[in-house]
Amino acid sequence: MEVEIDAMLNNYSISTKITWMNVVVTGVALIVASLSFLFYDQANARGALIDSLSTQAQILASNSVSALDFNDPQSARITLSALAASKDIEGAGLLTPDGHLFAEYWRSPNVRVNVLPTLRPDRQQTEIFIGNHLTVIRNIDFGGRRLGAIYIRSNLDMLEARRNHFLRILGLVLLACMLAALIVSAMFRRAVAGPIEALSETARTVSRERNYAIRAAPTLAHDELATLITAFNEMLSQIQVRDAALNSARSELEQRVQERTKQLVAANRDLESFSYSVSHDLRGPLEIVNGMSYIINQQYGRELSSGLKDCLDRIEDAAKRMNQLIDDMLNLARVTKSEMHRERVDLSAMVREIADELRRREPQRYVEFTIAQGIVVSADSHLLHVAMDNLIGNAWKYSSKQSQSRIEFGVRPNEHGNVYFIRDNGAGFDPRGAQRLFQPFQRLHPISEFPGTGVGLATVQRIMQKHGGHIWAEGAVNRGATFSFTLPEIS
Amino acid sequence: MRLRTNLNSRASLPASAPAVYIALLLLLTAVLLLSPIVVVAQPPATPTETQVEAAFLFKFGSFVTWPNPAPNNTFAICVLGRDPFGPALDSIVKGESLDGVPFSVRHIGEPSEASACRIVFVSSSEQERVRPLLTELAKLPVLTVADMPHFNDRGGMVQFVLENGRVRFEVNLTSAEKSGLTLSSQLLKVASAVKRDGGRD
Repeated sequence: MEVEIDAMLNNYSISTKITWMNVVVTGVALIVASLSFLFYDQANARGALIDSLSTQAQILASNSVSALDFNDPQSARITLSALAASKDIEGAGLLTPDGHLFAEYWRSPNVRVNVLPTLRPDRQQTEIFIGNHLTVIRNIDFGGRRLGAIYIRSNLDMLEARRNHFLRILGLVLLACMLAALIVSAMFRRAVAGPIEALSETARTVSRERNYAIRAAPTLAHDELATLITAFNEMLSQIQVRDAALNSARSELEQRVQERTKQLVAANRDLESFSYSVSHDLRGPLEIVNGMSYIINQQYGRELSSGLKDCLDRIEDAAKRMNQLIDDMLNLARVTKSEMHRERVDLSAMVREIADELRRREPQRYVEFTIAQGIVVSADSHLLHVAMDNLIGNAWKYSSKQSQSRIEFGVRPNEHGNVYFIRDNGAGFDPRGAQRLFQPFQRLHPISEFPGTGVGLATVQRIMQKHGGHIWAEGAVNRGATFSFTLPEIS
Repeated sequence: MRLRTNLNSRASLPASAPAVYIALLLLLTAVLLLSPIVVVAQPPATPTETQVEAAFLFKFGSFVTWPNPAPNNTFAICVLGRDPFGPALDSIVKGESLDGVPFSVRHIGEPSEASACRIVFVSSSEQERVRPLLTELAKLPVLTVADMPHFNDRGGMVQFVLENGRVRFEVNLTSAEKSGLTLSSQLLKVASAVKRDGGRD
């Protein structure tokens, strides 16, 4: 029942609920009270009817004493006929002490009842309710003698009329009360539901506009509703304060980040220009060393002892390596400094070109290339060429000790997009040093085994990062290496 | 096996027999309890004229007020002259009382003996001297009753008459009032005639 009422009222506003509550409560209370009163009134009316019939019976009895005593039924009939004055009384009768009918009166022949009522010997009076009739029968005693009994039979029309009258009035009163309840509840609605509706409207506005400066209008009352509104407003104030604090903290943070970024950019630029100029400036003296040792070798090579010649070769060799190193470093610096020009790049074609170039440079080697076709990415084609040159060059270099070199370029999808990879079956590396691979000047193999400066992979990583991509390496000693990288999808 | 037969023979009795008896018993009880109490009255032997008169004599006491308290604390119904009632009057008043005063029946020969009486029934045997008798009795607060004709015309108070075989009575209110008696309106109501003759002797 409760659930049903809940479900029934769920969809209505508080003010409708209050109205319904008032009307229903009023109606139920009034009906219960009225029905109680009706039962009470009917019981009372019954009692009064019994009293009235009993009184009339007593009066008639004392007026019938002589008629009974002196056996004068005619006189008794005249006495009884006085009941004609009461329209609800249908009839009456006098009984002799031995229970025989002495005299009777009936309002009309149709209401006559032939069955005589009886009175228990130990009772002075008995009331019998049968159907819509009440019969009161009463002993008649006179001078200590039992003269007989009198009975009066009445219909209950009076009770029924009284009840109907009451119900009619109840209906009218109920209607009036409902109306009054509606009016009163309209007043209460203003007092109770009004602030609640205003509060909920305010809450909606705050939530919609994210404007924490709005406040719910306070009420004049000092009830729970006022407490709620006050608490709501306090909550809004706190949110407003926190919101402001959050905003200022965020802007402060942004400002700090901007400052730091500016500082970092400046420092980076200084560092790059420093390393660039250093590399550049190193090249001049190195050219002289290189040129002079070349001249000495050309002009006086034959005159030199084999020991000096060896020294000169080593100087030349070192100068060449240093030149390479400076090239690589300048490359690295240029990568960092250069502007990005994204375009569609056919990666498959680029890998093929680089492979052809390598084959041309070292035609004596046989390397089996497997190149996936139709791979197109969005990148700076120059930078990407530098990176692929490095990666494929590495694969070429580190697989040179294999009798059957294999280099594979391919792509596989993962959850973030495509992963491109270059795999070789060369010397591989110790996986523990995988992270160091991409740091400048870090090498996992001695120069005597595989020549190199240790800057190439650092450059590759810088290029991938510049593209917003990511590169990592997998491998094991003598089991080959796989370099995988990602590039943002073509938008 | 025997036990089984026993059981069977028992079971072969109508199973509902006790229930039927109980139901009948209940029905009988209900009839006895609920039925109106049937008073099977013996149709009484129609009382004779004198028996009715005797009963009326006894009943008059309830409807008359005397100016004095009952002499000797007894409600004496006196029969002046030859008693026509026999044992009827005695048996009616035997053990009865009115307002705590016990009834008694006395037989008197002269009005002078009537001072202790409440009611004096003048027997028809005294018809010849009714007038002097009543003159004497009128001095006493006694109700004079007779069943002789013209009794009330001669100063009597209550005179039995026969109407269609029923005993009724006529009342002379003036005579009663002269003797200081008050007759209840109830009594007058059932009287077949009430005589009120004002200044007549």
